[in-house]
Amino acid sequence: MNFFPASSASSAAVLLLCALCSPLCAQDDQDLEKVAELQKKVHAVVDRVKGAYVFIGGGSGVCVDPDGWILTNHHVAGGAQNWKVRFTGGKQYDATLVGFHPADDVALLKVRNGKDLPCVELGDSDALKIGDNVIAVGNPFMLGNGSWEPTITLGIVSALHVYLDNPGYKDAVQTDAQINPGNSGGPLIGMDGKVIGINGRIDVKRFMNRVNTGIGYAIPSNQIRRFMPHFKAGGRAFGGYLEGATVGECGDDRYENTGELGDGVFIAGLQDDTPASKAGLTTGDILFDIEGQRPYNLNRFHGIVGAWPAGSTVKVKYKRWDAAKKEFAVHETKVLLGDPEKLRAQEAQVGNLYLGFTPSYDFDDLGVEVDEVMEKGPAATAGLKSGDVIKKVGDARVRDWKDFKAALTGKKAGEKLKLVVLRDGKEMDLTITAEERKIEGMPEKQDE
Amino acid sequence: MRRLFSASNASCAAFLLLCAPLSAQDDPTSAMARVLQKVREKVAKSVVSIEVVRDKDPDGRGGSGPSSTHQDYFNRPEGPCTGTLWSEDGYIVTSWFNVSGEVRRVTVRTHDGKSYDAKRLGYDATRDIALLKIEAKDLPVLPKSKLDEAKQGDFVAIVGRAPDPDVPTLNHGILSAVNRMKDACVQTDAELNYGNVGGPLVTVRGEIVGITCQVKPRTNWGQSGGVGFACKHTEIDKALPSLKQNRSVERGKEPWLGVTPAEGAEGVEGVVVAQVAAEGPGEEGGLQEADVITEIDGKRVKTWEELRAVLETKKVGDVVKLKILRKDKAGVQQPKDVKVKLGDNPN
Repeated sequence: MNFFPASSASSAAVLLLCALCSPLCAQDDQDLEKVAELQKKVHAVVDRVKGAYVFIGGGSGVCVDPDGWILTNHHVAGGAQNWKVRFTGGKQYDATLVGFHPADDVALLKVRNGKDLPCVELGDSDALKIGDNVIAVGNPFMLGNGSWEPTITLGIVSALHVYLDNPGYKDAVQTDAQINPGNSGGPLIGMDGKVIGINGRIDVKRFMNRVNTGIGYAIPSNQIRRFMPHFKAGGRAFGGYLEGATVGECGDDRYENTGELGDGVFIAGLQDDTPASKAGLTTGDILFDIEGQRPYNLNRFHGIVGAWPAGSTVKVKYKRWDAAKKEFAVHETKVLLGDPEKLRAQEAQVGNLYLGFTPSYDFDDLGVEVDEVMEKGPAATAGLKSGDVIKKVGDARVRDWKDFKAALTGKKAGEKLKLVVLRDGKEMDLTITAEERKIEGMPEKQDE
Repeated sequence: MRRLFSASNASCAAFLLLCAPLSAQDDPTSAMARVLQKVREKVAKSVVSIEVVRDKDPDGRGGSGPSSTHQDYFNRPEGPCTGTLWSEDGYIVTSWFNVSGEVRRVTVRTHDGKSYDAKRLGYDATRDIALLKIEAKDLPVLPKSKLDEAKQGDFVAIVGRAPDPDVPTLNHGILSAVNRMKDACVQTDAELNYGNVGGPLVTVRGEIVGITCQVKPRTNWGQSGGVGFACKHTEIDKALPSLKQNRSVERGKEPWLGVTPAEGAEGVEGVVVAQVAAEGPGEEGGLQEADVITEIDGKRVKTWEELRAVLETKKVGDVVKLKILRKDKAGVQQPKDVKVKLGDNPN
C-alpha cells in the first residue's frame, strides 16, 4: 500500500504547480500572443499568394511563374482553347490552354506574352503532415466576380495519398478547408506560402445543394511538378503504369511468399520483353518501395506510379524469396513507367472519335480492359466502369487494343456502338455513343 | 515491488512538474483553444436566445428541402434561434430571417435565464437584419471591432444560443473576404447554421465584427457550407435610427432564372447550367442540368456575366426566350428553344 500516499503526493504537486503558475505567467496575454503569432503567419501567407490567384470562367487557377503559366483543373479550362482570365484585383489577360491531363483533372494555361506576373511557387506536398494548417484560395459561388476579390478559407490536412476513381486522383491531399463550387482549380497553400495542391473535387450535395461537407481533395504539387515539362511541351499528358505486369495485393494466402498485407504488392504475372521484365522483375517479387513511397495496397501502388508521367524511370526496391537461404533478399532496380509515344499513338488511332475512357495495358488477349472512365464522357454515359473488359464491338470480337481500333475504323461521331463487356465474371451488353473529339492533341502554337 | 511502485510515482510527479507548464505554453493549438474559451465566456453574456411563436404552416409543409414557393421560415427546423444585445436598454439585433413573416409572439431569454416579451421593430431585408426591443436595463453590450483594420485571414468566432438557450455554442474560422454583398457584409468560413445565425461574429478579443446573417434554405451557401456572412456593425448602426422608428427596408425584386452556372466550358460558347433550383423558374421553364444557354431574347451570350447583364434589364414576371443546346441521346448538342418566366431571386 506504499504507492497510495506517493500518488496523492504527486497530485498535490500538480495542484501546487497550477496555483503557482496562473497568477505568475498571465496565461491570457501569453495565449493571445501565441494566437497573434499564428495570425501573423496566416496573414503573411494570404499576402503572399493572393495576387497570384486567377479567375477562370466560373472556376479558379493559380499563376506559378512570372511568365504566366497558370495551373487549374481540366474540368475548369479543358473545354476551350482560348480564355480571358483575371488576376485578383481584376486585371484581364488572354490565356491559351497548353497542356492537360484529363484523367487527373489538371490543365496548364499560358498568359500570352506574360511577363513579371505575380506568382507563387510549387511547394513540397510530400512534406505535409496530417493536421497541418492549409489555406484555400478560390471563388465559391462566384462571390468574387465584380470585386475580383477571392475567398480565403483555412483548414487542416485531413488525409494524404488518397486514391480516387473517376476522375482518377492518384495521390490526393484531403482537406477540411472549405472549398465549394467555384474553388475548383484554385490553390491549396501550405503555411510556408507555397502551393501544395490544386483543389479540384469535393463531396457535395448537402441539403440538396452543391456545397462543401468538410471533404475536399487537391491534386498534390509534387505530382504536378513531375508533369510540368509535359504540360509545357503541350497537349495531353499521360500517367505512368507498370507495363506488362499484373500486380496483386500481398496477404492473399492463395499465393506463397507474398508477405503480409501492407508489405507491398507482388508481381502476379509478367509478360516477356516489357519494361518490367527488362528491369529484372519476375513473378512473385514484392515491390515495397517506389521512389521512397510504400505501395501498401493496390490503390496506393496505382497511385504512386500514376502520379509519375508515362515515360519516367523510377527506382523500385523489391524483395525476392531466396529458396536456398529461406528468406527474402532485398533488390533494387529501375523501371520505365509506360511509353507516352505509344499512348499518344493509341489516342491518335481512334482518330476523331472520343469514347471517354483509357484502356489498360494489353494482357492475356482476353479483350480490352477499361482503365479510367472520364467524368460525363460517352463511356460514363454508357455505364462503362473501370475494370470492365470489352470483348466485342458490334459483331467483331476484340482481343486487344489493335482489334478495338480496327473495329472502330470508319465509325462516325454520333454512331451507336454495341459493346459486349465482361464485368465480375458476367457478360453484359452496353451501348456507347461515340463523340467527336473536341480538343486536338496539340494546341495552337505559342507566341514565344 | 512496493518500492518500485512508489519510485515510479515520484518520478512521474517530477516529470509533470518539469513538463506541464512548458508544453501548455508552447502549443499554439491549446493557446487558441483557451482564447476561444475566453471569447465564448465573455461574448455569451451578450448573446440571447429567441423563441418565435408562429401560426402553424397553413399548407402543412415545411421542415425539409429547398423550395421556392414556400415561406423561408417554415423551411427550417423548429426551435430557438440567436440574437445579439445591441444596447444596455434592451435593443437586440438578429437576422431578419429568424423573425420574419407572421409572428404571434417573440420571447427573448438572456444569459441569466430571464425571459422577456420582445417587440419586433423595423427590419432591413437587404442587409438581413431585424431589431427587437425588450424592457430591461444595464444589459452587457459587446465592444465593436475596428472594421477598417479587418483583414482577410483574421481569426473570428461565432457565438450562438440554440438549440439549448442555456448552452452557448462556439464556431470559429477566419475572415474569407472583407467586402461582400455590396460591401455590407464580411464573409467567413466559420460554420454558420440555423441555430447560430443572428449571433455575433467576433474577433479573438471578443469584439463584434458583425451580426451573422444571409442563411436561407434556398441559398447555395450558409448552412455549414463554409461560406457565411455577417452584416458589418457599422452598417447596422447606420440603419439603426430608422429601425428604431419601426421603418423597414424591403428587398428589391431581382429577376431570377433559377440556375447555377458551371465552372468550366463544354467546348461550346455559352453558359453551362450546373444546377437547376428545385421549383425555381428555370425548372418550370424546362431547363435541365448540362444545358448550354447561348442566347437570351435574341442576344448572344458567352459568359454568365453577359447573361446576368441581360437579366438585370428585365423585371420579375417577364418571360425570356432562351436558345439552348442540349445533348440528345446520341450525345450530340441539339439547339432548342425554352421560355422561362423570371422569378424573384431569393438569394
